[in-house]
Amino acid sequence: MLRIENLCSGYGGFEVLQNISLEMGAGETVAVLGPNGAGKSTLLKVISGLLKPTSGKIYFEGRRIDGKPSHEIVEMGISLVPEGGRLFPELTVYNNLLVGAYNKRTRRHFKETLEEVFSLFPIIKERQNQIAGLMSGGERQMVAIARALMSRPKLLMLDEPSSGLAPKIVASIFEFVKEIKERGYSVLMVEQTVKKAVGLADRVYLLESGRMVFSGDQTSFLNNPKIKSSYLGI
Amino acid sequence: MLILNAVINGLLFGGVLALMAFGMNLMFGVVQIVHLAYGQFIMVGLYLVYLLTVLYHVPLLLSCVLAIIAIALLSVLCYYSVVKPLLKAPPINQLLALAGLWIVLENACLAFFGATYKGVQVVLPVLHVGEIYIAASNLIGFGVGLITLGLLYLFLNKTYTGVAIRAVAQDTEVSGVMGINSRTIYLITFVVGGALAGVTAACFVPVYAVHPHFGSAFTLLAFIIVILGGMGNLIGGFIGAFIIGVVTSIGSTLLNPEIGQIIALLICLLIIILRPQGLLGVRART
Ligand SMILES: Nc1ncnc2c1ncn2[C@@H]1O[C@H](COP(=O)(O)OP(=O)(O)OP(=O)(O)O)[C@@H](O)[C@H]1O
Ligand SMILES: [Mg+2]
Repeated sequence: MLRIENLCSGYGGFEVLQNISLEMGAGETVAVLGPNGAGKSTLLKVISGLLKPTSGKIYFEGRRIDGKPSHEIVEMGISLVPEGGRLFPELTVYNNLLVGAYNKRTRRHFKETLEEVFSLFPIIKERQNQIAGLMSGGERQMVAIARALMSRPKLLMLDEPSSGLAPKIVASIFEFVKEIKERGYSVLMVEQTVKKAVGLADRVYLLESGRMVFSGDQTSFLNNPKIKSSYLGI
Repeated sequence: MLILNAVINGLLFGGVLALMAFGMNLMFGVVQIVHLAYGQFIMVGLYLVYLLTVLYHVPLLLSCVLAIIAIALLSVLCYYSVVKPLLKAPPINQLLALAGLWIVLENACLAFFGATYKGVQVVLPVLHVGEIYIAASNLIGFGVGLITLGLLYLFLNKTYTGVAIRAVAQDTEVSGVMGINSRTIYLITFVVGGALAGVTAACFVPVYAVHPHFGSAFTLLAFIIVILGGMGNLIGGFIGAFIIGVVTSIGSTLLNPEIGQIIALLICLLIIILRPQGLLGVRART
């Protein structure tokens, strides 16, 4: 479904991602882990078209998408939940969801998609007229995920959905991610909280200062001696 | 009584000013440029109405509608020729380019229409209730201004395109990830902003005669209102327009029109010094 080959990218001559390769199949959940500044957000920005690669290729369902503008990439079925949610703060929750379904492919299915999303997040239905910027961090993150689902993505990308949230809220966010996964979406998740993210993932990648230093399934990740000592603290 | 009259007429005039400032404010909020040639668009609109009614004998209302459409098209032309090529350029380049457009439009009008005042003779009554005198032209401007602003409110809150415009203004990057092509939204914003300059011109027809330097005063006035309310803050701009309307009206009634302008500028300076984010503005977006 998604294949990344030897991707390099960065900000104005400052190279962040170096030779990244990644592969995920339809219906899979993949976690990309790494410390602060490793380039996790940068990777998701390149996939979603916010940042151009300097070299390398990205294929989505067999078609090359690297270098395409972001509004075309969402049309193809990739949706991003940015770091911190980044709702449109002055719009109502309802209008945030409306914008989520802006692309041509999904706009005419707005009503049915809205019902589906409400069935997944019943609380949002009650809050739909609230101004998004006035919600709590956990609520904002939930609406951000709902907004991304409004575009009926095949691939949902989450940038640190747990960052800055209380443990209890983090647990419920991951419950939602689990449910989304069970509904058949492919999920590409970027995280620092190793335990929760790994528990949901079919494949795990480890990113360190712009390079992929590990890829494998859950068990090989958890049993890797180097990872054990430096990330899991065992 | 004199002051009460001035306040009422100032408030009424504020309706047109609100409309005028809204156009500049919207373009700043969405495209992040200060449209320095905005008043010149209004000026061209007034010249067009003059050209159509006086020289070609087109009925006044039809001339106004044609002028509004023409200014919207002029705005599209401005977007493609001046703004779009400079979208990624430093703000100072954008400012200079639009200031260039200001000079071009002024001199084009000077060359075409000459330096004298041109106007359409519209005789509108002055209504009075007791000792309160209200110019019908102000009343029309107020009505048109508020109706147009009401329609804009519905457009920006209830339609897909309108909500997308606000989304781009609040977070251009994320709106792209939502499937919004910001370039299309910029273009639509210029069409709307241009049409608003056209409607403002139509409201000005019974009030002002036009001359080649007519536009600069209104670019400045729109800018003052936008600063007063907080740049990009549409509600702040709305309130700012009424404040400026009343202040300039009182100033002109008690002393003379120039004093009204000077007071408006002083208020603007005070705001920049004391509250740079504007009355309702937020200091910085986090
Ligand atoms: N807009 C930008 N301009 C310049 N450099 C940037 C920009 N955004 C990120 N960087 C740099 O790129 C590198 C990777 O940043 P990135 O945001 O991808 O890290 P991350 O893995 O997402 O970190 P975190 O866990 O803190 O979110 C960092 O060194 C950062 O300073
Ligand atoms: Mg990040």
